[in-house]
Amino acid sequence: MKPNDSFLASLNPSCKLFTHIFVMFLLMTISNPKVTLFIWILGVFVGIFLGGWRIAYLFKRLVPYLGFSILVFWMMAAFGEGETTIWKWAWFHVTEESVTNGLTIALRTLGFVTYGLLFTSTTDLTLFIMSLIHQCKLSPKCAYGLLAGFRFIPLFQSELNQMRTAHKVRGYKQKNSWKAFMRYSIPLFSQGIRKAERIAIAMEARGFTGTKERTYYQTTQVVTKDWAYLCSLLIVVLALMMVE
Amino acid sequence: METFLGCKKLFIRFYNRSEQSLQNMTLSINKGEKVLILGPSGSGKSTLISALAGIIPEHIEAEVSGEVFSRKNVGVMFQDPDSQFCMLHVDEEIAFSLENRSIPRNEMDKMIADLMVHVGLNVDKRTPIETLSGGMKQRLALACLLALEPEVLFFDEPTAQLDPKGRQEIFDLLHQLSKKTNQTMVFVEHVLDGCIEWMDRVILLNDRGAVIADGKPIEILQNFQKEMEEAGIWRPRVFPEKWVEVVENTSHPLSIKLSNILESKSLEKLKEVDKQELVIHTEKVDIGYGKKTIVSDINVKIRKGEWVSIIGQNGSGKSTFLKSMIGLEPIKKGQLYFQNKELNKWSDRELYEKAGFVFQNPELQFITDTVYDEIAFGGRQRNWPKDLIETKTLQLLKEFGLERYRDAHPFTLSLGQKRRLSVATMLLFDQILLLLDEPTFGQDEKTANELIRCLKERQELGTTIMMVTHDMDLVDHYSDQVILFNEGKVMYQGPPNGLFSNEKMVQECRLIPPLHYQLMHERRGLVFV
Repeated sequence: MKPNDSFLASLNPSCKLFTHIFVMFLLMTISNPKVTLFIWILGVFVGIFLGGWRIAYLFKRLVPYLGFSILVFWMMAAFGEGETTIWKWAWFHVTEESVTNGLTIALRTLGFVTYGLLFTSTTDLTLFIMSLIHQCKLSPKCAYGLLAGFRFIPLFQSELNQMRTAHKVRGYKQKNSWKAFMRYSIPLFSQGIRKAERIAIAMEARGFTGTKERTYYQTTQVVTKDWAYLCSLLIVVLALMMVE
Repeated sequence: METFLGCKKLFIRFYNRSEQSLQNMTLSINKGEKVLILGPSGSGKSTLISALAGIIPEHIEAEVSGEVFSRKNVGVMFQDPDSQFCMLHVDEEIAFSLENRSIPRNEMDKMIADLMVHVGLNVDKRTPIETLSGGMKQRLALACLLALEPEVLFFDEPTAQLDPKGRQEIFDLLHQLSKKTNQTMVFVEHVLDGCIEWMDRVILLNDRGAVIADGKPIEILQNFQKEMEEAGIWRPRVFPEKWVEVVENTSHPLSIKLSNILESKSLEKLKEVDKQELVIHTEKVDIGYGKKTIVSDINVKIRKGEWVSIIGQNGSGKSTFLKSMIGLEPIKKGQLYFQNKELNKWSDRELYEKAGFVFQNPELQFITDTVYDEIAFGGRQRNWPKDLIETKTLQLLKEFGLERYRDAHPFTLSLGQKRRLSVATMLLFDQILLLLDEPTFGQDEKTANELIRCLKERQELGTTIMMVTHDMDLVDHYSDQVILFNEGKVMYQGPPNGLFSNEKMVQECRLIPPLHYQLMHERRGLVFV
C-alpha cells in the first residue's frame, strides 16, 4: 500500500474504507447485471478521475481479474440452470437465467476488486493504522503491533528466496509440495518468532506500554470532504439502483 | 553514596535453562563512565546489560535474586539493526520514542530535525527505513534512543552487523557524543578497534558469568591477554600504542613489526598459477537481479587452487557476482564459462557436484535433522554405497571438528559450528570450487580463525576458494587475487599488494587497508610535508 497524490489519497482512510465496504455490500444485494455493470464502471471512473489511476496501471491491475471474471461468467452461464434455453451443445446448456446470473456474479467480482483497489492504491499504511486508532478506537497495542508486523512481509520474501536457492545448490528436490512447505516454513517461522520477540523487547525498552496515554505524531480526522465523498458515492450508487 | 548504576550479589537464571547465566555479580558504575564489558559468548554479557537496563525482569522473564540499581530513563541499542524498528519511515520511527514519552505534537517536528542532525542522519525524513544502509540504520536507532533523553545508554554489540567502515563511523559518532554530553555508556562488543581507545574501564567476564577482571583498558589488555584470546575477542590492532607515535617513530616496536611485514610482502613472489587450468572465466559479463544491472563488463579468470577475495561496499554487487558465477542468478549479458564449458550447458546436478556455495545465513541451508545426515545428504540423493557415504561423512566431520555433534540437530549448534557445518556439507563431492558469502561475518576471532584454517587446508589440496569479505587482513593474508567492485564496474583485479599500495583507490572505494599499508601511506604523506 503506497499512496499517490490524488484526491482519494487525501481522504481519511477509515472513512474511505467504510464507504467502499458499504458499496460492496450494496453490490451483493443487486441481481441485475446492468446495474452491477454501471456500479463497476463508476468505480473505474472514480479511480481515473479521483484516484489518479493511469490507463497503464488500470490494464496491469484489472486485466488479470477481467480474465478471471470471464471464466466465472462462462462457468455460471454454460452449466447453470434455467428454463429458457438459448443454446445447447453436448453438455453445455446456456439459458437466459444462467447468462444473467453469470454476468451478475462476474461483474460483482470485478466490482469488488475495483473498489478494493481504489482503497489500497490510495492509502498510506501508517495513516490507515493511525486512523484505526483515532476513528475506530483500536488499542495502540494492536495497532503498533500490526505496523511492526507489516515490516516482516518483504523480509519473509527475501528469506524464502534465499532458502530456495540454498536448497537448489544442495540438490534438494521437491517431491511433495506439502513436505516442501514444511521444509521451508519451519525455519522461516522460527526466525520470525525470534525477530518478533526482539522487536517487542526493543519497543518496550523504548517506553512503549500499549496504553492510550501517549501523544501522536500523525493524527487523522474526519472532515467535510470525507463526508462529501461518502455521501455522493452512496447517492450515485443508490440512484443507479433506483433507476432500474 | 548511593550507587548510580550497578548491582549487588546478582544471580540470574532463565526459566528454560538449568544453569545460572549470571553468578554473584556485584558491580557499580559511576555517572559519566564509559564501560566496556568483554567475555566469551555465553558469558552473560547481554544478560548483564539487560538487567542493568531493567529489561530483565520487566520485559524478559527470568529468576532474579540480588539487588539491581537501575536508572529510570535508559536506552538500549541492539545488534540487529532490523529488529529494533516498528515503523516504516525515519520520522515516524523517531516520533515513536517521543510519543511514548507523551511529548506534545507541536514540539515533535523540531526535536526530530535536531536529532537527525545530531546523529548525522542526513536523509529526507520521509525515507523508508528499509532503504537505509546498516550504518544509517544504527544512526537512526541512536536518534531514537536519544529521543528518550536517557541517563544511561547501553549498547549490545552495536556494530556486529556492520562493515568496517560503518563500524568506524558509528564508533566515531558515539565518541563525539560522549565528549559532548558526558553520557554514561555501557558497551558489550567483541571488536575493540575504535572503542577501546576512549573507554574508562573494561570488565572481563569468564564463561560462567563471573567477573575475572575490572580495571583500566591498558591494564586489562596487558594482564589478561590469554583470557581474552580464549574468549575470542578480536585484539585491537594498535591500542595501547598510539598510532601517531607509531607513524612518527621508526624505531617504535610496532612500527618495526609493520615495516617487516610490508617488506616481506613486497618480496613475496606471486604464486605461479598461470599454468593451472581455468575454473571460471568470463567475457564481458553484466550481472544484476530483476531488471537491474548492477555491474557491467566483467572479465575475470579464476584458476584452479586460487584464493580469490571479492570486496566492495555494501550493495556494490559482490554477492550477486558470487551467485552469478554458478548460475544462482542469471547473467544479463556476455559469456560465462565453467571449466571451459558454457555455464548454461551444465546441468544443475553436475554443476553442484563441482561447485559449492556457502550462504551468509547457514540456517537457511540445512535440510535434515542431524549433523551427520546433513553432510551425507548429497551422497544419499545419488544412491552412493553405504560405506562410501559413511567414510566420507566421518572424514568431513573430523576435518571440521564436528564429530561430537554428529547426532545433534543443526539448529542447536553455535554460530561458528553452524558455519563450519555449512562448509562441510559443500565438500562431500570434493568440489573443486567453493564460493563463500562473508563466512567470518559477525563471528569472534577464535571461530573465524578455525574456519579459515579449514579453508586454507582445502585450498592447499587444490580447491579454488572465492570469498566475499570485509576483513581486509584476511584479504591481504590469504588471497592470490582480489576483485574490487565499485560504482557498477570492476575497479581492481590482481594481487592484494597492488590494491592496498594504491592510496588513491583505497580512499575512493572507502576501504580500510591493513595496518602496514596504512603506515606506508602515512609515511609517504610525511615525506612530502
